[in-house]
Amino acid sequence: MSVVTTQTTAAAAQLDRPPRRRRGKATSYRLSFGHWWWALPAVVLVIVTIYVTTAFGAFYAFTDWSGIGKWNWVGLENFQKIFKNPEMLGSLKNTLILAFGFLVLSNVIGLGFALALNRGLKSRYVLRTLVFMPVVIAPIAVSYIWKFVFAYDGPLNQTLALLGLEQYQQDWLAEPTLALAAILIVMVWQSIGFAMVIYLAGLATVPQEIEEAAALDGAGPIRRFFSVVWYQIQPSIAIATTLSLIQGLRVFDQVMALTAGGPAGATQTLATQVYQQTFQFGNFGFGAALALMLSLLILVFTVAQQRLTRDRD
Amino acid sequence: MTRSNSQARRSRWLLAAAPLALAMTLAACSEDAPGTGGSGSANPSDEPQTITFTYVQANPDETYYDTLAKDFEAANPGVTVKQNKIALTAADQTIPTQLQAGNGPDVFWINAGSGIQTSVGQLGKAGLLLPLDSSVYAGIPESQMAGYDLDGKTYGVPSSSQVNGSVFNDELAQSVGVNVTATSTINDITAQCPKAVAKGQSVYGLAGSTPQNNGILAVSIAGSAVYGVNPNWNQDRTDGKTTFASTEGWKQTLQAIVDLNGAGCFQKGAAGAGFDALTNGAASGKLYGFFAPSGAAKSIMDGSGGRAKLIVLPAPAPAGVAQKLTLSSNTGLAGNAATKSPSLVQKFLAFSVSAAESKKIADAQGSIPIGEVTASSLLPQYAPVADLVTSGNTIAYGADGWPNPEVYNALGTGITGLLTGQKSIDDVLNDMDAAWG
Repeated sequence: MSVVTTQTTAAAAQLDRPPRRRRGKATSYRLSFGHWWWALPAVVLVIVTIYVTTAFGAFYAFTDWSGIGKWNWVGLENFQKIFKNPEMLGSLKNTLILAFGFLVLSNVIGLGFALALNRGLKSRYVLRTLVFMPVVIAPIAVSYIWKFVFAYDGPLNQTLALLGLEQYQQDWLAEPTLALAAILIVMVWQSIGFAMVIYLAGLATVPQEIEEAAALDGAGPIRRFFSVVWYQIQPSIAIATTLSLIQGLRVFDQVMALTAGGPAGATQTLATQVYQQTFQFGNFGFGAALALMLSLLILVFTVAQQRLTRDRD
Repeated sequence: MTRSNSQARRSRWLLAAAPLALAMTLAACSEDAPGTGGSGSANPSDEPQTITFTYVQANPDETYYDTLAKDFEAANPGVTVKQNKIALTAADQTIPTQLQAGNGPDVFWINAGSGIQTSVGQLGKAGLLLPLDSSVYAGIPESQMAGYDLDGKTYGVPSSSQVNGSVFNDELAQSVGVNVTATSTINDITAQCPKAVAKGQSVYGLAGSTPQNNGILAVSIAGSAVYGVNPNWNQDRTDGKTTFASTEGWKQTLQAIVDLNGAGCFQKGAAGAGFDALTNGAASGKLYGFFAPSGAAKSIMDGSGGRAKLIVLPAPAPAGVAQKLTLSSNTGLAGNAATKSPSLVQKFLAFSVSAAESKKIADAQGSIPIGEVTASSLLPQYAPVADLVTSGNTIAYGADGWPNPEVYNALGTGITGLLTGQKSIDDVLNDMDAAWG
């Protein structure tokens, strides 16, 4: 009995000790040199390929480099030129119109499709695939198809003529306001499926029982959406709106394919100006300044938008 | 020494080394391009007898530079020309980058003027081009050498000349009673445009959303209205003696485009049209002609298997202005300042503009040979303008002497603005002056 007691006491003592040793070992692992530099190759690669190259690009924003030969340091001159040039300010305005138009429309319509195709409908899987299909096509290809649709002698005007609506025929891509709207339509049309998929994932996390309970309490569909579903899908809203804002701010393919910034610069955006100034005009310094401004704009709006939509719980 | 002290010291070294490395890299980037080059070594046989030749090839059937390289090898036993074919879209990235890195080709495709990165103006300013002896380009008329010189030195030679005017289906136009000739004025044409409109057709197609097509139309008209009146207009603009906005010829040029548009001479929806509208319109017989370099006539006729018969016409001049034919020789060849075979490079360039090689290139391109031209050396599509060409009643393409691509872009986008009503003639000309700098 006493042996058993002694063994039990010793075992208990051993049980007491190991945690101290484990604590000691754990502390020694944390202090080990081995761990941090294992990540060094990857960290260096990321720094060199992303941050250093970006820093070089940012550096050239303060020079007059033409892409060939020497450059001179010009300080903030390139940025002053941006804010003094009405065409550049017009591009900034177009960028913001397209970005926020895209943010609102793609999310509202995408959420609408997600709600419609969430439950109940038997053909929902086929319909989800059809709505998502444009997302997988390259934006440049989609834009060229739409350019054909919007052409003066294209299907849109031909359809209007067939319906006896000749008076509504337009040169859709040659009228400044219509051209900007056409770009927005193409952007939204292609991205609805993407927003829908994010919202469908969010809706899948909403417990059906809560909705049913609300319904039993007499809440209608709109009340149920705003009082139950809306709060449950907050993370999806944050992700979908952030991604669409970034996508909208850096819009390039659709503009280049549909209007190339025309008519007469009416649909230029910051991204198309970066391309034109840098690669068509050889103003690498000025192009770098525009690119830096666009990057900062995306950063500021994204951070602000994240703060607005973060889950406060 | 404790480990934390050691870490801190390493961190300080890293912090100190980062800006140093950055500064050294930047200093390396900002250094002059290697070698400013000479005009040739004392003894050509001492040089390496292999040269590299990079050129733009638009499609696999375009083989005239390949023929040139092989002919040069045949004429110079022991010499090897290594060819590198690139796409036009890659030229502006590939050639300047290789030249700056010191591994550029010995001979390469280049543009006259300063309109793109791979141009005499841009690469010459950076000291990357080989200055040429006058013997290389002796016998080439001055108008064809426009844009190949910089600060008193010549850096390249043209490969061919093209008429910048209209490529026209005369048979189709005649069939509806529209008669456009090399002497037709803007007024003559606007008077006939309603005939074409009545048939659901148009005299001209215009890719009005593209600055390039608008630019070629305007600068070709300005060949008569501006450069025909004052051949030194570009120099006067550089010297500050004149401006776009104060030149009557430029106002006439843009007014002519407004008049053509107002008379329905361009197809419906011209302001928003791209190049596809020209090819579709020409193929379907809905338009009779469009403004393009004259080599397009051969491409289209070849593409149609000989069914389409096209002629080359000058851009119409405004009434009361003498008709000039605008010729552009803006694509050619240049040598690398850092080449190890400068004499061989110059020999190759001189060979490229010899009468026999020049004729081969022109026939393959559907263009006009470099050097003195006779009516018999022209292809059949040039018959309507043969007198203008052989009598020297030609003018160099004005935009080849402009200081930067922004001016041409301001003109091209400004014309779109004229067609849509977004801009006035004065707006466009003021924008061009601002872009000139």
